Amino acid sequence: MTADLATAPTTTDPTRVRTFVRRNPTLIVTGGLLILITLVVMLLPPFLPDPNAADPVNRLLSPSGEHLMGTDKYGRDLFSRWASAGRVSIGMTLLITLCSVALGTFIGLVAGYFARAGRVIMRIVDAWMAFPSIILAIVFAVVVGPGMLSELLAVTIIFTPYTARIIRSRVLGLTTRTYVKAARVSGMGPWKTLAVHILPNTLPLAVVQCVLLSAGAMLIDGSLSFLGLGISPPTATWGNMVADGRTYLQTHPTMVIFPGLTIALFVFLLNLTGSALRAFVDPRARMLLDQQRRQRRARR
Amino acid sequence: MLGVILRRLRDLVIVLFVVGTALFFLLRSIPGDPAAVLLGTKASPEQLERLRHDLGLTGPLYEQYLHWLGNVLTGDFGTSIKYNLPVLQMIFDNIAPTLTLAIASTVISFMLTVLIVTWVTVAPNNRVARLVNRATQFGLALPEFWLALLAVYLFALTFGWFPTGGYTPLFEDPATAITQLALPVAVLVVGQTAFLTITMEESVLGELTQLYLRTARAKGVGERRIMLRHVLPNSMLPVLTTVGLNFASLIGGVVVIESIFIIPGLGTTLLGAVYARDFPLIQGGVMFIAFLFVLMNLLVDLAYALIDPKVRVS
Repeated sequence: MTADLATAPTTTDPTRVRTFVRRNPTLIVTGGLLILITLVVMLLPPFLPDPNAADPVNRLLSPSGEHLMGTDKYGRDLFSRWASAGRVSIGMTLLITLCSVALGTFIGLVAGYFARAGRVIMRIVDAWMAFPSIILAIVFAVVVGPGMLSELLAVTIIFTPYTARIIRSRVLGLTTRTYVKAARVSGMGPWKTLAVHILPNTLPLAVVQCVLLSAGAMLIDGSLSFLGLGISPPTATWGNMVADGRTYLQTHPTMVIFPGLTIALFVFLLNLTGSALRAFVDPRARMLLDQQRRQRRARR
Repeated sequence: MLGVILRRLRDLVIVLFVVGTALFFLLRSIPGDPAAVLLGTKASPEQLERLRHDLGLTGPLYEQYLHWLGNVLTGDFGTSIKYNLPVLQMIFDNIAPTLTLAIASTVISFMLTVLIVTWVTVAPNNRVARLVNRATQFGLALPEFWLALLAVYLFALTFGWFPTGGYTPLFEDPATAITQLALPVAVLVVGQTAFLTITMEESVLGELTQLYLRTARAKGVGERRIMLRHVLPNSMLPVLTTVGLNFASLIGGVVVIESIFIIPGLGTTLLGAVYARDFPLIQGGVMFIAFLFVLMNLLVDLAYALIDPKVRVS
């Protein structure tokens, strides 16, 4: 197994990418759908009615040709709110993910390269890892006031350790490679070695981590908006749309169903894409996937 | 063994100290005078002064901190501003519903997970088993708050099988309590089972690569017996860790479920404290959850030592 790892082709090899995609056709479907939803949400709002324009005459309409998702208690068009909420929710998810992966990669690099500091860092990381994120968000909502900043801080802090651990274990494997040793022997400083030789080798892993974490980020973003601890009305998010629709659950269930279903679908696609990509860069995951495949073949 | 316990107990104290101190300074760093915020603009200077004194907000910061630390060490976590009750008492009054939800959902999803994964491992050719296994994992993508509302819409509002919410202590009126708990627990079980099945499946797959299986097969042990006696018990360890850690974060994560089903638990209390800016209650509540978290870690480690002889030796 270790020999296999050492001689494994690099993840950026184009032919390998092509074979991988051919072997995992679902990746194209899930990735394509993700891009499609994102594009729809990003490009559509200019052509839709103002998501915050009240129209008291047309309050609480059911879905129809004119209002695809109906209207809410102020007569606002729910489809335009859905689209603009998508911009906010997807944007927030991306922001949180990028911040935590960047920070986590940095911590992982340092903790992996400097052995002694690394042990101390990892103990701290382990301790903070599973602290309930909603509780932390509550604390930050009190400290900086509920909104974008508190959500960003809380969720970034919660998600950073996941990336840090994965990147660190990768760095630990890389530091024993001959080219890293060669760099060190030829007098290259530790920071430069990290930036030039080690960081590029951890990037594929960081990208996959982005996809996997964004699924969790979207769920937490939803819960926080739902509780009123995230981005607050009148700005629509998928989470606070569900919260708004809650009052009319009995009479207008679609107000709750549509935005929630979008989150579920989006997260589901992110999970599928993420685990397929993980098999591409993570040898352990690849091993497990091969194992599954072999099992399946044995069954036939 | 005793060493492990002592080391863990020391960690517990350290973590509580760090969390408490961090929270203390975070909450004190909020701009503005909490007393003025709480009493509004009409408060007299005497009232403000009294409240500041009650909140421990007089004197320099380090003095406030030492004062707070001294109180905590003697078991005094302050008084809730909103309810005017000792924080510790408020926590214990509200912990029962949260614990009931957490324990019930953890136990049920653990059993479900073991059942499903055992089934799919012993009978890998069974289509139904594989379908159930795959279907559980959809649960990972479903937002809890949305699933809860859907459950309320379908099973409470449309069919009327269960009440939309509320809470009755389990031992006071079991029949009512169980109908009220059914929906919230079911929603929690969906998410948790998804998470646990994935953990256990990965662990089983990892175990299947082990070489001792070849030995077992070579000496003629049946495939079914290999799975039941070797693979499954050996893959329980990661699941146990996940259950333990998950349980602690569940206590916090139950907030959403409690607020939807109107259950007066720790989560609702804490959320109410945020809206009311009830600092002592927030501080006490969060420290209590941190305490539970470290305690669960400790219990998981002890369970490890009991199950896995390797851990006991080292």
